[in-house]
Amino acid sequence: MAYQKARRYDSRTTIFSPEGRLYQVEYAMEAISHAGTVLAVMSKEGIAMAAEKKVTGKLLDLSLAPGGEGMGGVGTEAWGGGGEKIFLLNNNILAGLAGITSDANSLVNFARNSAQRHLFTYDEDIPVEMLVQRLCDMKQGYTQFGGLRPFGVALLYMGWDPLHGFQLYQSDPSGNYSGWKATCIGSNHSAATSLLKQDYKDDLSLEDARQLCLKVMSKTMDSTKLGSEKLEFATMTLHPTTRQPLAKIYRPSELDELLRKYELGGTKDDQIGAGEGSGGGGGQEGGNISLST
Amino acid sequence: MECSFGLTGKDFVLLAADTSAGRSIIQMKDDENKIKALGPHIAMAYGGEAGDTNNFADFVDRNLRLYQIRNHTPLLPAAASAWIRRSLAESLRSRHPYSVNLMLAGFDITDSTSHLYWIDYLGTKAIVPYAAHGLGQYLALSTMDKWWTEGVDKREGIEILKKCVDEVGKRSTLKFKFNCILIDASGIHHINLDSSDPIAEMEQAGKAAEVINPNPPLDVGITA
Amino acid sequence: MEYNGGSVVAMIGKDCVAIASDLRLGQQSVGVAMNFEKVFPVNDKLYYGLPGLATDVYTLREQLRFRVNMYRMKEEREITPKTFTHLLSSTLYEKRFGPYFLEPVVAGLTTPTELEPKPKPFISTMDTIGCITTPKDFAVAGTAQDKLYGMAEGLWEPDLEPEDLFETISQTLLNAVDRDALSGWGAIVHVITHDKVITRQLRSRMD
Repeated sequence: MAYQKARRYDSRTTIFSPEGRLYQVEYAMEAISHAGTVLAVMSKEGIAMAAEKKVTGKLLDLSLAPGGEGMGGVGTEAWGGGGEKIFLLNNNILAGLAGITSDANSLVNFARNSAQRHLFTYDEDIPVEMLVQRLCDMKQGYTQFGGLRPFGVALLYMGWDPLHGFQLYQSDPSGNYSGWKATCIGSNHSAATSLLKQDYKDDLSLEDARQLCLKVMSKTMDSTKLGSEKLEFATMTLHPTTRQPLAKIYRPSELDELLRKYELGGTKDDQIGAGEGSGGGGGQEGGNISLST
Repeated sequence: MECSFGLTGKDFVLLAADTSAGRSIIQMKDDENKIKALGPHIAMAYGGEAGDTNNFADFVDRNLRLYQIRNHTPLLPAAASAWIRRSLAESLRSRHPYSVNLMLAGFDITDSTSHLYWIDYLGTKAIVPYAAHGLGQYLALSTMDKWWTEGVDKREGIEILKKCVDEVGKRSTLKFKFNCILIDASGIHHINLDSSDPIAEMEQAGKAAEVINPNPPLDVGITA
Repeated sequence: MEYNGGSVVAMIGKDCVAIASDLRLGQQSVGVAMNFEKVFPVNDKLYYGLPGLATDVYTLREQLRFRVNMYRMKEEREITPKTFTHLLSSTLYEKRFGPYFLEPVVAGLTTPTELEPKPKPFISTMDTIGCITTPKDFAVAGTAQDKLYGMAEGLWEPDLEPEDLFETISQTLLNAVDRDALSGWGAIVHVITHDKVITRQLRSRMD
């Protein structure tokens, strides 16, 4: 009975249910909690972000796709180095996305356009919170105006601007956003958040932030061993000499090296095809991508 | 005939503009304020075609205020200069271009630097340590060339400005009165160039103003 | 063109290109600023110079930055000198009947690809409405254009190494702007090679 009643309010994004809920928005959020985990940790020296990639299968050709061999880079290189999950929105802002990829692509495009418009008008990089607001205004619009479906995407934004320094924000399909020291979206986000809450300290170094990010990720993901074929990683720091924001999306080999350093996995040549969590990095050894999820 | 000066120092920036208003050889007013505060740490001196000047200054003022209200933070001087420049450049190729020259002075609180932008009605922007518009260009730029050095302090800065004002008084047949402000980390201050110790007077006035009115209006200088 | 003054020159060398400008910004005969650069980077293999009306220098630079950034995001690669020249040309032609008062100069190196394993160093120049010329030796523009032609014609030779090219372009520019009242007040030179860009500021007659 309750189900039938609910149905009447289901199909319209713009209409409240008698309980005062917007079902479509809630369903969109539900969709996201099944998506790959994205988590980020902020420190005084910079912010680290890790994102879980869902590997689809060994027949998928990754040689030209985002997240393939060409992935990763520092500074302007990172423009072409975006993966499936982590994108550069502007010189000073990186975003990790969880949810429907096609919706995410459209949002990324909108964000990049907004950032460039700001640069054009004011000759400065867009402040982080302003870009978050721009996106959230758009997302909010889709929860109110008739006939449209909300964006099935949640985002983590990490960025730097001269007024507020390093900042980490999260936004959801309803258009709400909030600022965090460490946070997580996607599947298992509540478990990951409580792990972050336990281990987060105010005086973390960037190195600590990187390690915490990957450590929590390894506990949250199903497999015991992490590898670049299942993970994307990025940092936002300041350039040591110019003190300008420096975005870095890790190349698969760099990420594996980092994982080995923290003893959390990292694909090794001799382990290829040996078991869960190891496989051909970034599709290079096409036959060896493990079939997880 | 108009005249304005701008000068940067280590931790401050000075702006001075004459207070005359008239047409060709007739002066109708000698207390016109041509400096406008656009935020807590940013102000501009403007001149040009009568009517255009005040209208454009109000347009800039209101737009920068709108930005501040929307984003809970004022535009930094560099960003404000870019916006103003574009407004003038777009206006130049419109049906009714603004004919306004201005000098934008600001103190960037994020990195504690002083900024001075020389902008003309075409939308030309020069980022300069010292500058002048109008008659002052021909008479006092060389004065500033001679006396200005990197990192001058407030007292020296005001002395240089006084030399410029004196030069205009000496070499021009026109008699100008000047309105002057100083912007530093603590905000915008009025400077009395006729005072024997303008800095002491400024510090005194600053304290008094704080007590009487904790939220002073954004207009600075003499407003008739 | 003569309102603000300023000049730009670009030259081809052996696996390198150089581009240089003076630093003066004037208002007719009055000098306003001596830090007004007219050469801007697109990426570390490609620079362009915009001598002409200073308001249009800013406007066009900001417009091009927007377009190049959008190109970089959509294409996920850097723009090549040739493509950039056409982007610049069509941006200028958009304003065919109310042009920007600029005469751009482009200088860059093309990254080798499978299709084009040995690309030649590239320079180009165009008029105010975007008509392109691609010289094999050097390109000059600005208020000292005629003097730059004379200097470059005398000093330039083929296949100069980066340091020799730097010397050639510097002497060309400095001696040309010394004979031009509207250019000068210092200069900046960029020599673009495959592994780095050498940027040097030059002092010239400061009067």
